[in-house]
Amino acid sequence: MIAFDHISLSLGTFSLKDVSLTINRGDYYFIVGPSGAGKTVLLEAIAGLHRPERGRVLLRGEEITALPPEKRGIALVYQDYSLFPHMTVIDNVGYGLRMRGMGKREARGEVAGLLEEFGISHIADRYPATLSGGEQQRVALARAVAGKPDILLLDEPLSALDPVTQEKFIHDLQRLHRENGLTIVQVSHSRREAHLLATRMAVIIDGTLVDEGRADVVLNTPRSRQVASFVGIENILDGRVAANDGGHATVDVGGHAFEAVTDAAAGEEVTLCIRADDVVLGVGDGRRSSTRNTMAGMITQIVENGPVAEVKVNCGVDLTAVLTRRSGQDLHLAPGTPVTLSIKATAIHVIRG
Amino acid sequence: MKTETLPGDIRRGDGETVLPWWRQRKRQHIDGCTLWFCIMGAAIVGITVLALANIAMTELADPVHLLEVAASSEVLGSILLTFGAGASAVLLLILFGTPLAYVLARSRPSRFKGFVESIVDIPLILPHTVAGLLVYLLFMRRGWLGAPLSDIGIAFEDAFPGTVVAMLFVASPFFINTMREGFEKVPVHLENVARTLGAGTFTTFRTVTLPLSLRHMYNGAIFAWGRAIGEFAGVIMIAYYPFIISTLIYYSFTTDGIRTSRSIAFVVIVVSLAVFYLLRRMTRHLGRYDDRV
Repeated sequence: MIAFDHISLSLGTFSLKDVSLTINRGDYYFIVGPSGAGKTVLLEAIAGLHRPERGRVLLRGEEITALPPEKRGIALVYQDYSLFPHMTVIDNVGYGLRMRGMGKREARGEVAGLLEEFGISHIADRYPATLSGGEQQRVALARAVAGKPDILLLDEPLSALDPVTQEKFIHDLQRLHRENGLTIVQVSHSRREAHLLATRMAVIIDGTLVDEGRADVVLNTPRSRQVASFVGIENILDGRVAANDGGHATVDVGGHAFEAVTDAAAGEEVTLCIRADDVVLGVGDGRRSSTRNTMAGMITQIVENGPVAEVKVNCGVDLTAVLTRRSGQDLHLAPGTPVTLSIKATAIHVIRG
Repeated sequence: MKTETLPGDIRRGDGETVLPWWRQRKRQHIDGCTLWFCIMGAAIVGITVLALANIAMTELADPVHLLEVAASSEVLGSILLTFGAGASAVLLLILFGTPLAYVLARSRPSRFKGFVESIVDIPLILPHTVAGLLVYLLFMRRGWLGAPLSDIGIAFEDAFPGTVVAMLFVASPFFINTMREGFEKVPVHLENVARTLGAGTFTTFRTVTLPLSLRHMYNGAIFAWGRAIGEFAGVIMIAYYPFIISTLIYYSFTTDGIRTSRSIAFVVIVVSLAVFYLLRRMTRHLGRYDDRV
C-alpha cells in the first residue's frame, strides 16, 4: 500500500539512512526501536511531514514523495494526543471533516455517531484541558478516523495511560483494525503490544532499519544480536561452531557445548538466541528425553513478576528460565537450589556472523 | 473551621456563602529572602508612584487650569493623533510582523536567522535620535523609499504617514518578539496533526496556530502601541508637525513653561492609564481554554 524505497533524510544532527519498507493494506505494522532511534521521524515521514533528501515514497504504486500531508489521506495520533486546546471535543473530532469542505453543522452531525461509537458523547462540549488521559486518547483516535483515512499512524499511543485504560484502548485498536480493515502503523517500545497487535514489524536503530518482516518472525528469529536484545530475547550467547553434521551444529559457548540447528560451518562465529520460556527447569535427576541440551546449574536469583517468575541460573553460562510462580513454589525453588535446564536444539535461534 | 456569617457575605444560588473580597485575605507566610526582594522591588515601584503622586497632587490642586488644558482642542487633537498613529503602526505590524514572527519561530537556528533577529532588534539598541535619523533618511522626499512614494502622492515629512512609519520602526521589536514567543509556544505537533487532517499550511496557521497565539498578539500589540505613542526623538526627525503628544509637551515646555506642559502630561497619564487598563481587562480571558474556570 505504502512503500519507502531507499529513503534518506536529515533533521539537524539526526538522519534516517536508506530506509526501505513496505506496508500492505490491512497490516497492523509496528515500528520498534530504542529512544532517539528515529521512530517518530519515520512516522512523520510516512505522513509527509518531512521531505526525503533521497529515495521515493510510493502509495498504491504511485510516487507521492512530494505530496503534502493534507493530500495523503494518512492520519496521525501523537503520544501527547495533540488535541487542539482552543476547540471543544466535537470541534476537534470534526476538524478533518471541515477541512475537507464539510459545513460545520453537517460535520457535527457526522461526528455525533463517532462520539457515540467511542463512548465520548458526554464530553462533546468540553475543552481538552478538562479531560482525563484516556478521554483525550479516545478523542484523538476519533478525530483521526473521522475522515476515514487509508492509513492511521499511532506514535506510542499507550505509553501515557494506566494499565486498565491501556487494556480498553488495545481492544479499541483491535476493533478498529478488524472491523474497519484499517491499515495501522504504530510506534512502540512494548513487546507485549507487538505480540498482541502487530501483523508485521520493523526495528529501527540509530536511523537505520535493521530488521523488517512478519511480527512473529522478527520477534522470535531476529536478524542480529542488536535486534535480539531489543525485542527482549532473554538469553543471548556468543559462541563458535565446533562442528556441524548436516545442519545439526555443536556450538561452543565459553567451554559449554550447545546443540542447535543451523547451516553455519565449523569455526564460524554465531550468536545463540533462546527465549526464557523455551528453557525448561527441573529439580533432581532429569529423566530421559529428546531434549538435546541439558545442563546442571544453580539458581542465583528469582525475580517474581505478577503470575510468572524469572529464574536466573548459572550453569557455567548465565541463563534465564521463566515459569509460573506456582511451579516455582511447588518445586521449592530458591537462590542456591541446584537445578537442571533443558533446551531443545530447535528452540535455539542461531544468528550467523 | 466555620467562618462566621457577617453582613456583606454573598449567598449563592446553591446555598454556598461567598465571602466578600475584604474577608477573603489569607495569612501568607513570607520568608526573609522574599521580604528583601519585596523591599528592593518596592524601590523601583516607589519611584514611579512618587513621580505620579507628585504630578497628581500639583495638578489636582488647580483643577480649573487642568480642565482648561484637558478640554483644549490642541491637546485633544494631539492625543487622538498620537493614539491613531500608534494604532496604525500596530495594524501594519500585525499585518507584516506576524508572518515574520512565525517564520522566525519555526525556522531552525542558522547564521541567517541570527542575522535577521539582530536586524529586528536594532531599534531596541539604537539611540532614539539615530532611529529617527534612519527613518528620515529613508523616507524623506529624496530618500530611497520617500522619493518614489512621494511621486504617487504619499509624503512623509511633517505628515501623518511620517509619524506612523517612525512609530512602526521603534515599536516593531516589541511586537515581533512577543509574537514570535507566542508562536514558539504552540507545539509543532498540533500543526502536524492539522496537516494530516487535511488542512493546508495557511489553513493550519489560520485555524490552529494563530488562535492559540492570540494572547501574545494582543500583548505584543499593546506593548508596541505603548512604545509607539511614547516615542519623541524618533518622530520629530521626520514629522515635527503635526504635533504628537510628546512633541506638544516638549513644545509647550519650551514656549509656555512648566505649568501647561505638566497639565498636558497629567492628562496623557490619566488617559493612557485608562486605555491600558481597559485593554488589559478586555483581553484577560483571551487564550484560556478551560471550561472549569
